[in-house]
Amino acid sequence: MSLLSADSRRDMEIRRYPLLVYTLVPLASLVLQAWLPRVVGRYDWFDLPLVVTVYFALGRRSPIQGTLMGAVMGLFEDALSHHAIGVNGVAKTVVGFLAASVGIRIDVENHAVRLLLNFALSLLSSVIYYFTYRGLLGLTLEWSWLTELMRAVGNSLIAVALFPVLDRLQSRE
Amino acid sequence: MESFFDRYRNLVVLLAILMAQIAGLAVQVRRGSAGQNTLDATDPRGVRLIRLWGNAIVSPPERLIHWTKIGVEAMWTNYIDLGHVREQNEDLKKTVERLRLEQAALLEDARQGQRLQALLGFQEKYIYTTVAAQAYGSSGSDHSGVFYIDKGAHEGLKPDMAVITADGIVGKVRDVFSHPDTAQVLAVNDPTSGAGVILETTRIRGILKGDALGRLEVVGILADERIKPGERVLTAGGDLIFPRGLPVGVVEKVMRDPDRDSFIVILVKPAAHLERLDEVLVITSTEPRFSPEQEQDIATSESQKSAVPTAIKDQVKASEIMAEKLPGLIDPNLPPDQQPLHDSSNPNTVPRPPQPIRPDEFSPGAAESPAPETGAESTPKLQTKRPAIPHVAEGNGGASQPAESPKPQTTTPRNP
Repeated sequence: MSLLSADSRRDMEIRRYPLLVYTLVPLASLVLQAWLPRVVGRYDWFDLPLVVTVYFALGRRSPIQGTLMGAVMGLFEDALSHHAIGVNGVAKTVVGFLAASVGIRIDVENHAVRLLLNFALSLLSSVIYYFTYRGLLGLTLEWSWLTELMRAVGNSLIAVALFPVLDRLQSRE
Repeated sequence: MESFFDRYRNLVVLLAILMAQIAGLAVQVRRGSAGQNTLDATDPRGVRLIRLWGNAIVSPPERLIHWTKIGVEAMWTNYIDLGHVREQNEDLKKTVERLRLEQAALLEDARQGQRLQALLGFQEKYIYTTVAAQAYGSSGSDHSGVFYIDKGAHEGLKPDMAVITADGIVGKVRDVFSHPDTAQVLAVNDPTSGAGVILETTRIRGILKGDALGRLEVVGILADERIKPGERVLTAGGDLIFPRGLPVGVVEKVMRDPDRDSFIVILVKPAAHLERLDEVLVITSTEPRFSPEQEQDIATSESQKSAVPTAIKDQVKASEIMAEKLPGLIDPNLPPDQQPLHDSSNPNTVPRPPQPIRPDEFSPGAAESPAPETGAESTPKLQTKRPAIPHVAEGNGGASQPAESPKPQTTTPRNP
C-alpha cells in the first residue's frame, strides 16, 4: 500500500462518471438489494448500497460527496424497511465520509486493499447501526454479530468483483 | 485567511447531515408507559413521505425485474418443459372431479358448523374473501423482515390484514400504498412481529415471533415436558389478525428461555416457505361468501341430504294414516265398559304378565289393600321378607348370588 500526500492523490486521480452512471448504479444497487434476498433466501449476506457508496466515495475522493451519497443510500434503505428512517442513513453517512477520506490517502486500486477496506467499513457500518438503534434510540433490536461478519465478508468479495466493472464506466477525457 | 467553514468544510457538512438525521430519528421514537422506547405505530407524515418516495422509486424497476423473471420461468414451463403434460392433465382432471365432490361435502359441513357456532353465540372468524398477490421485493435488510406485494389500496388492502399461503401464515399488512399500488407486509419471522399461536395436541398457547436469524420461535411458554418436536403449531385467533386454526409450522426444537427462568422457547419450522414466497393471499374479509359454483354445490348437497329425512317423514305419515284406518283397542267414541279391549270376542287379548315363582312386594297384586285387622293381628309383628339383593350383585350378574332361604328380619326404611 503506497501512501501519498492528500493533494497529490486528489489531483492525480479524481474519477468522473457520466450522470447516468451516478443515477443508475445506486438505483440498481437499491433495487437489487431489495429483490435479491427473495432469490437467495436467508443467505443475503451483502449490502450492495454500501458497496456502491464505498466505491463512489473512494473514486471521487470527496468527503462531502461521499457523505451525501451515503446519506441518500442509507435513507432509501431505511425507507424500504419498517424501522426508523435514519438509522442506516447515519451509518452510511459516516462510512461514505470515511471512505472518501481514506481514498485521499491510500492507493485503492489494489484488490487486497479494496477487500480489507470494504470488510472494515462494513463492520463499522454494522457497529454504527447497532449503536444508533440500541444506544441512541434505546430501541430493542434482535442482533447477530455472526450475520454481520458474514455480511462484511460478502461485501468484500462483491466489491472485489464489482469495482473493476464499475471502473470501466468512468468518463474518458 | 481561510474561514472556519472552508477549513473544516467536510466535517461541518458531515455533522450537519448527521444532526439532521438524528433529529429526524428523535421524532419517530416515543417513550412508552413502561419506560421503554418504542417506534411510532403509525409513521409521522414526513416519514411516510420518505417511505412513499422510496417505494415509488424502487418498486417499478423491482417489479419489472420480478415480472421478467416470472415471464422467463413461465416461458420455460409452458412452452419448453412440456414432458408428460398430457398424462398429468388427465390425472389432474380426475383429481379435480374428486376434489369438487369432496369440496361440496366440506363446504356443507363448514356451513353446518357455522350455524351451530352461531347458535352457541360464538363470534368466530372465517376466511372467505382473499386477494391473491405476488410478492416481488423485500426491505433488503435482514434487520427488517418486511416484503412487498403487488396489490395495494386499490384492491381494498388495509393495514393489519393477515397474509397467508396455502401452506400457512406469512405475515400481516403493515402499510399500504396507492402509487404504485403496493403494500408492505411484515413477515411473521421478523423480531417485531407477533401472533397468538396454540400447540395442536397439548393446547398450550404462546406468542409467535422471529429471532435475529429470521427463525420462527414461540415464547411466553412455561416449561412443559409434553411439548415434543413434530407437534403442529396453529394460530390461536386471539390476536384479531389471523383467524383461528391456520397452520403456522411444526415444533423443531425446545430450548430454555435464556432471559426468563422456567420459561421455554420453541423453535418452529414454518409451514409456509417464508424465504421463497411468490403467491400470497391477503385475507380482506372474514365474512362467509361463496362463489356461485360453490352455492350451487351446497344446494345440491343440501337437497341430497334433505331427501332422506323427507322419505322418513313420508313413511311416518303413511303409517299414521294406516293406523287411523285400522281398528284400535281404544275407541274414544265408546264408554269404558264397551271398549274393544274388554271384548272377550277379540282374539288379540292383552297378554298378562306371568305369575312369579316367588312373589315379593314388587310382584303384581302384592300391593293390594290388606285384610281387615283383627284384635290379635293388630299388634305389631315382625314381617318375613326375602332379603334385598345388594346392588353390587347386579354388577356381578346377580346369578352368582347364592340362593338363601328366607329369614326373618326387621323391616327397615328403604333408602329413597
